[in-house]
Amino acid sequence: MRVILVTGANGGLGQAISRDFLNESKENFVWLGVRKAIDKAATLASEFPERCSPVALDVTNPSNWQSALKTILARQGRIDVLVNNAGRHRDGLLANLDTAAWDEVLSLNLDGVFHGCRAVLSSMISQRHGRIINISSLSALLAPAGQTNYAAAKAGVIALTQALAKEVARIGITVNAICPGYIETEGLSGWSSEEKTAAISRVPMRRLGRPEEVASAVRFLACSEAAYITGSVLKVDGGIL
Amino acid sequence: MEDVTLLKNGIKKMLVDNLMLQLKPEEIRDDQPLFGPGSIGLDSVDALQLVVALDKNYGLKIPDPAAAKEVLQSVNTIAAAVQQTAK
Repeated sequence: MRVILVTGANGGLGQAISRDFLNESKENFVWLGVRKAIDKAATLASEFPERCSPVALDVTNPSNWQSALKTILARQGRIDVLVNNAGRHRDGLLANLDTAAWDEVLSLNLDGVFHGCRAVLSSMISQRHGRIINISSLSALLAPAGQTNYAAAKAGVIALTQALAKEVARIGITVNAICPGYIETEGLSGWSSEEKTAAISRVPMRRLGRPEEVASAVRFLACSEAAYITGSVLKVDGGIL
Repeated sequence: MEDVTLLKNGIKKMLVDNLMLQLKPEEIRDDQPLFGPGSIGLDSVDALQLVVALDKNYGLKIPDPAAAKEVLQSVNTIAAAVQQTAK
């Protein structure tokens, strides 16, 4: 049995990642970390009732992490894979960006990853095995105008990933980051068709990515064949960078 | 063999096994520093593993860096802390 926790599991990407793990092997048990909206996670859990369960998890709250881990460890006694996927953006030019938008984006996208890694480490150290996959963003590398908060947070995730990878490499824990490009999720739902067309024109593959294509990359980094890959940053962007 | 000797031998074996040291347990002296000059050469990552291993094996909780500095000096100091926990 491999025990996997995916945060932000009610979102499009979290759903795809969770489903991919569930389809990969009947030996996988997936915990769906969810905060407020739980409808899609509940549907997925009902589809795989023996191998999938929602768990309440506001990633910005360290005591929430402790409770979630307590629940997981009480049931299975281990945690093998953590996918830090929860995140969102609140865009705006820095001159107009209010402090709340900065704080929220940094808290959810960067602090949440810190709290998550801290929460699972002692179990993974004890197991001498673990996989942490942090979902960063191409914005961390492109640093687009209007995303100072999001780009800074996601760049922070990459730096955290690489530093932590060095700290725990010898213990058998790998830590990697994935940078999705333009992916067809709810994150693009507010975009006009003109904005989507403009985005696609910047992608050498001339299409948006599918959540399943990010999920495949996550699954690879979590698999045994990826044991020697740590501190890496894998772009899933159709060739933008 | 006294209980405390058994305990110290167990701690030495735990050190070697968990930290994959290139030493035999009996080569570690009871009072030998674990970190720094004249030590068995542990570093901060080893300390991290050691804190987890002590909790798992002996129920010894080391809550903060100050406590770690005090407890993780040598096999003797670890054994004393484990005995204190057991009381």
